[in-house]
Amino acid sequence: MTTPEKPERLPALRVTGLKKRYGANTILDDVSLDVPAGQVVTLVGPSGCGKSTFLRCLTWLDPPDEGFVEVEGRPFGREVGEFGSVRLQSSREVDRMRPRLGLVFQQLNLWPHWSVRANVEAPLRIVLGRSLEEARGRADDLFARLRIGDLADAFPTQLSGGQRQRVAIARALAMNPAVMLFDEPTSALDPELVGEVLGAIKELALTGMTTLVVTHEIGFARSVADRLLFMDGGRIVLDGPPGAVIDDPAHPRARAFFDKVLSRRSFISAKPMTGEQA
Amino acid sequence: MKFDFGFFLESLPRIGEAAFTNIQLAIVIFALATLGGTGLTIARALKRSVLNGAIGILISFVRGTPLMIQIFLFFYALPALGVRLSPVHAGVLAIALNSAVFITEIMRGGLSGMDPGPIEAATALGLRAPQIWGLVVLPQLFRTILPMLVNEGTIIVKGTALLSIITVVEALRTAQQLGAANFRPFEPMVGAGLVFLAVNLVLAACAGVAERRYATARA
Amino acid sequence: MTLDPAVVLDSWPLFVAGTVVTLQVSAIAFVGGILLASAIVALSFSGGWIRVAIQVYLGVLRGVPFIVLLFLVHFGMPFAGIRMPAYFNGTLALTLYASAYYSEVLRATVLGLPRGQWESARAIGMSRSAATRHIIAPQMLRPALPPTVNSTITMIKESSVMSAITVGELTYQGLVVQGNTFAPFEVFIAVAGLYWLIAFVLSRVAVAVERAVATGQGASARRNAIGERYLALDARAG
Repeated sequence: MTTPEKPERLPALRVTGLKKRYGANTILDDVSLDVPAGQVVTLVGPSGCGKSTFLRCLTWLDPPDEGFVEVEGRPFGREVGEFGSVRLQSSREVDRMRPRLGLVFQQLNLWPHWSVRANVEAPLRIVLGRSLEEARGRADDLFARLRIGDLADAFPTQLSGGQRQRVAIARALAMNPAVMLFDEPTSALDPELVGEVLGAIKELALTGMTTLVVTHEIGFARSVADRLLFMDGGRIVLDGPPGAVIDDPAHPRARAFFDKVLSRRSFISAKPMTGEQA
Repeated sequence: MKFDFGFFLESLPRIGEAAFTNIQLAIVIFALATLGGTGLTIARALKRSVLNGAIGILISFVRGTPLMIQIFLFFYALPALGVRLSPVHAGVLAIALNSAVFITEIMRGGLSGMDPGPIEAATALGLRAPQIWGLVVLPQLFRTILPMLVNEGTIIVKGTALLSIITVVEALRTAQQLGAANFRPFEPMVGAGLVFLAVNLVLAACAGVAERRYATARA
Repeated sequence: MTLDPAVVLDSWPLFVAGTVVTLQVSAIAFVGGILLASAIVALSFSGGWIRVAIQVYLGVLRGVPFIVLLFLVHFGMPFAGIRMPAYFNGTLALTLYASAYYSEVLRATVLGLPRGQWESARAIGMSRSAATRHIIAPQMLRPALPPTVNSTITMIKESSVMSAITVGELTYQGLVVQGNTFAPFEVFIAVAGLYWLIAFVLSRVAVAVERAVATGQGASARRNAIGERYLALDARAG
């Protein structure tokens, strides 16, 4: 049972002692993290540091070997039972918790056989059991908010990269998640789309949505995020305000990483992030 | 009824022995079909419209009709045209023709995915068409289609069982004879099933080895 | 020799009856085979002994000639105390055989879909069955159709073997007519023509479907005149 504590006192997301191994390789080595409600967190690190695995473990797509995930105080995937024993949740329990985490995949993974509207409405009806009218109303709200109302009847393959990103955000947001998770939202994009996509995430962040973004965009981290995590070797080695961490990284690997990323991507991060023209 | 395990074990060696007939037939058929399929492929590549039209009809006929009927045509119908073949000859020719057509279609698929670069290089070096086929195109082609050729081999092995119907004494017919003589058709049939399964498993294992060898050669 | 079409034409009721039975058993084996194959493919993604059992089932069905499977079912059913007409046993054997081939088609189709489709459905909270029903199955339809039609044509041709246990399908009726008329050439050409017609109609369906599906396909290999000389097998138009 959930504790009768007030929800706002609990972190939106709490991760405790997350571990994941593939064979002899330890990918996640005891990762713990609290994200208070409303915070915008970016997670950066060299490729292979475990950040994508972290999101996959968090969402239980790849169940972690050890550790706990709590969303608004409710255990997800694994929980401590009545007598202190650790228990894996049934797949039904896991499925019930999953909508609380809104994951936007790197490849978006929109469903190509459904229109934009169906992509957003169908999970509401199938997973949350909403009526057609409720689902329609919720979808229309989101389409208006994300300015994709005129695309509702289009199919995903007909959309631009930036439009698709907004649909993917709408699909995840429709489930009313406690936390939005983005897996490298810009790394599969053409450079000219990066600004637009980051703009959409920024808009979302400004609404007070708790957000965790795995990204290489240091400029985005600096201007939008409240907090920056640097991951290396399956551990979070730095955790602090983005400006401070980027300008004076207290970790040799992080220093090398930021030097490299800043010199390579400077022309992108220098771009103003206005999002779409309203 | 109870499964007579003793009778089953008794019949197994005789069916296994008869399976060598299937294997021998399959080897001959496979060789003929590969030759025939390659010939058809080269003939099609000549792009003479009359020839291609004729081959097209043959392909359509063979692919559109059951192997059984093709065997019947060779065995029952050819004598009506004055060509009298023994059951073994009729069966071998029927299955070989059938497989040749499927092999040329496999080859067509293999060719369509092939890089023309080496052919251009060979042409530029002054090689003639037969040399280009023999030295450049076919060696590459056989490598790429090897897994599908092996699959065709298992289809041929299974096809030889149909020859029991035109009285060729192979594994299935032997099983039927044992069953009829003892009024217990089921036990020898299980034996026949196991024997065919074993032959195809061995074939699949060989294919695995060959594929791995080629895969390393290709890398 | 002379061809005598009258032999065939006089026996038309038998040919029609045989064609009807061939289409019947094929239709039943198609429906049953697809249903079985769907269950097999769904189960094949689970682990442990179920997976092993499925591999054995598929290995046996692919490694044994259909004619042997047919006899196994036909002789084995009475063994299990189930006495059924040859028609039933033959159709059952054909259904089992078809299930193996459709399994291969369906499994390849599922594995051909991007993995992210499944994961995004699961991540949003859909159960396995909901994700299969709403996300995977609808997207399988288009890519699975052409190979399914091909397997169906193979299966229809295979049904000719059922004549060996006296199921009254097309080949069996052909053998009956040939026994009455002693005109094997005419009879088997006619039988072959009827099978060919069935396959032709079905393959037209496959071509039409393929054409409807073939939008935005990947670029084919680089081509030019010299390459075409060896790599293309179709006669030039005109």
